Amino acid sequence: MNASVDDAAIFARQGLQIAQPVARHVAQPRLSTRFGWLAQYAANAGLGLLLPGLLLALWSVTCQRHWVAEQILPPPAAVVDALYEVVQSDELLTHVRITLFRLASGLLIGGSVGLVLGFGMALSERVKAYVLPSFQWLAQLPVLGWIPLLIIFVGIEEPLKVSVVSIAACVPMSLGSMNAIRNIPRNLVEVGRVFQFSVWQLIRRVVLPAAAPGLFTALRQSVTQAWLAVIFVELLSSSEGLGFLMAYSRSLAQIDLVIVAMLVIGVLGLLIEGALQLLEQGLLGWRRSVF
Amino acid sequence: MKSLESWNWRGWVLPVFLLAVWQLATAQHWVNTKLIVPPIGVLTTGLKQVTQTDFYVGIVLSLGRDIGGFVAGALAGVALGVVVGVSSLADRVLSPTFHAARQISLFAWLPLLSALAGTGELSRVIFIAFSVLYPVALGTIEGVRSVSTGHREVARVYGFTHWQLLRRLILPSAAPQILGSLRLALIIAWMATIGAEFLLVNDTTGLGEIVFKGRRAFDVELILFGLLIIGLIGGSAGQLASRLETHWLRWRAPIR
Amino acid sequence: MKITMTQAATIDIRNLNKHYAVKGKRLAVLENISLSIQPGEFISIVGASGSGKSTLLRLLIGLENDYEGQILLDNHQIQGPSLERGIVFQEHRLFPWLTAEQNVALGLLNSPETDSEKARNVQEHLALVGLQGFEHAYPHQLSGGMSQRVAIARALVNRPEVLLLDEPFGALDALTRSNMQQELQRIWKAEGITAILVTHDVEEAVFLGDRVVIMEPRPGRIREIVDVRLPHPRDRANPAFATIKQDILNHFKKEAFA
Repeated sequence: MNASVDDAAIFARQGLQIAQPVARHVAQPRLSTRFGWLAQYAANAGLGLLLPGLLLALWSVTCQRHWVAEQILPPPAAVVDALYEVVQSDELLTHVRITLFRLASGLLIGGSVGLVLGFGMALSERVKAYVLPSFQWLAQLPVLGWIPLLIIFVGIEEPLKVSVVSIAACVPMSLGSMNAIRNIPRNLVEVGRVFQFSVWQLIRRVVLPAAAPGLFTALRQSVTQAWLAVIFVELLSSSEGLGFLMAYSRSLAQIDLVIVAMLVIGVLGLLIEGALQLLEQGLLGWRRSVF
Repeated sequence: MKSLESWNWRGWVLPVFLLAVWQLATAQHWVNTKLIVPPIGVLTTGLKQVTQTDFYVGIVLSLGRDIGGFVAGALAGVALGVVVGVSSLADRVLSPTFHAARQISLFAWLPLLSALAGTGELSRVIFIAFSVLYPVALGTIEGVRSVSTGHREVARVYGFTHWQLLRRLILPSAAPQILGSLRLALIIAWMATIGAEFLLVNDTTGLGEIVFKGRRAFDVELILFGLLIIGLIGGSAGQLASRLETHWLRWRAPIR
Repeated sequence: MKITMTQAATIDIRNLNKHYAVKGKRLAVLENISLSIQPGEFISIVGASGSGKSTLLRLLIGLENDYEGQILLDNHQIQGPSLERGIVFQEHRLFPWLTAEQNVALGLLNSPETDSEKARNVQEHLALVGLQGFEHAYPHQLSGGMSQRVAIARALVNRPEVLLLDEPFGALDALTRSNMQQELQRIWKAEGITAILVTHDVEEAVFLGDRVVIMEPRPGRIREIVDVRLPHPRDRANPAFATIKQDILNHFKKEAFA
């Protein structure tokens, strides 16, 4: 059955039409030639780079004209030099490795605990009743508030960093996974039970796939919180790691290194996000269809 | 009704139990009472604090920064969100930079900011505003984009001007998403406030500083009391925001 | 008792053509539509999907402006939407954050009346559609039929010269639909405006219209225009009614076998 032309008329792709007073106008022609899409892509890329380009130019000019002292804002060239130096000297790699290690361990520990808690609260009404209120209450306090306390109990070495990141990752993971599971449509579970699925089968074939999108959202939030925690604790009290690099360089007025560290953190963040997206695509490719 | 009561009751079991264990442990000296102080101690320290003006000054300062930064960031976030949501051109110019900048974890911006703007009130408020900008803009964009075509056509039929379109269609229609993002931003702003106080060492004071003082002095009671207040403020702000949101969105159909 | 009467308009559609360019090819949506509508007349347009009837309505209301030919309202070429033409869509499209009263008042946003005049106007029109007492209800509290009535009030509140209706009762259940058809007839008689209704329901078209325009698809054009010379109020049980309705249905049967 061919689509109604009326439908095409009504649902034509229009952006937000803001009060057009003119009577006759032809719709904007989209580049429909063979290489039209390529030209479109290039145009979009150009527009996207416009702002960064402007900012970069502004930055250079500010330094050239000495509108800001050099100790406060080094020129872009100095940042590039610093990057080169610190990559050469292996120093950067060390810091990156340490920060990533803390991030990963914290995510692993906090994430698993959070997942178990989330599952428990979602599957058992009793567990939820006992645990959730305390949890929500604890969540009111930003995780970095725990740090002074933890420092006293755990010291300032590695256990501190990892425990802070774990706590930070745990909260969104548990609340998020609890919600993800609670939002599974009842109908799907019932289908499983009609077909006599065992508990394990139910979990593997119904609960996990149906909860997967929500779980990924929870994972993303955990990653964000974990990053926040690891950078914060490294800024506050650490002798290694990217946060430490920033704090140390800042105290020595080596702002070029500060910027280098920021860029590295950004790139790492992008890579991790990209990996998550790939993983999500791979596991949740079916998401096109609404269930 | 019966099940409602039992839910409330069960929620208290865990905290009360832990509190009891805590009190017992310190009373019986099972643990080093230097480190793990009795709960009563927290209370007495708390009472002592509450009588000192320093404490209130600290709270007022922290709250002031929080609210100032939050309002500035929220206004900017809504404005930015509306612009990006409405104009595809603005979206293509601004969004890539926006999303790239977001990858740099919030606190990583603080050293640079403190280099450029010092460790005083200005950087703190800027930092808090910055922390709020992204979530609010994101929520606003989502809200603006979800304005239905049907409603937009109604606006065209009745000859809405650009301003009328914004004020009477776009913003009310996006209100659920905007208000939701504001609630989230409130939590983030409070975290940014306390975090900035921890990191930006200065002469001024604030709740964060009070907690920090406690750490320096190994005054666990002070730390705990400070944390309690931080949590209480965060929690009450959240409750207030929830109530406001429900009131402003009372036109929504109840779910189920 | 209303103070100002609505002016009804003459509508002239002359050689209206509309097409889309799809992948470089020309897809005709409306071909050579010509129609003359007298003031106060009620025109029903029926046709299967793809006959372009909704597109025709959108051109009349001014939501689409790319066409060849002429659309004249009282001998003036129309230019985009205007308060002189009102429309009721299939979905009520009420703003959910406004009460019924505020939704109707929305139609008067850009009208030159004073505030007190506007308020009175809104009250009158809510009464006209039978919704006094529901001024402060939010759309989610109203039934489908009631919401559509608010939409009708909103469309009529600035006393347009022509009322366009695009399958206005399509989303309602059968009982509500037949009630609403009667309501619409009553309102139209009371307001005395020109009305153009698009529907796929032949009985609705015959019940409401003075003339029924039958459209056929691919490309959309007028097949035939049938007069409905029956007195008001219409009686569905009337044999003459049934004959006309059957006549029109036969047109579509022919189409199916064509």
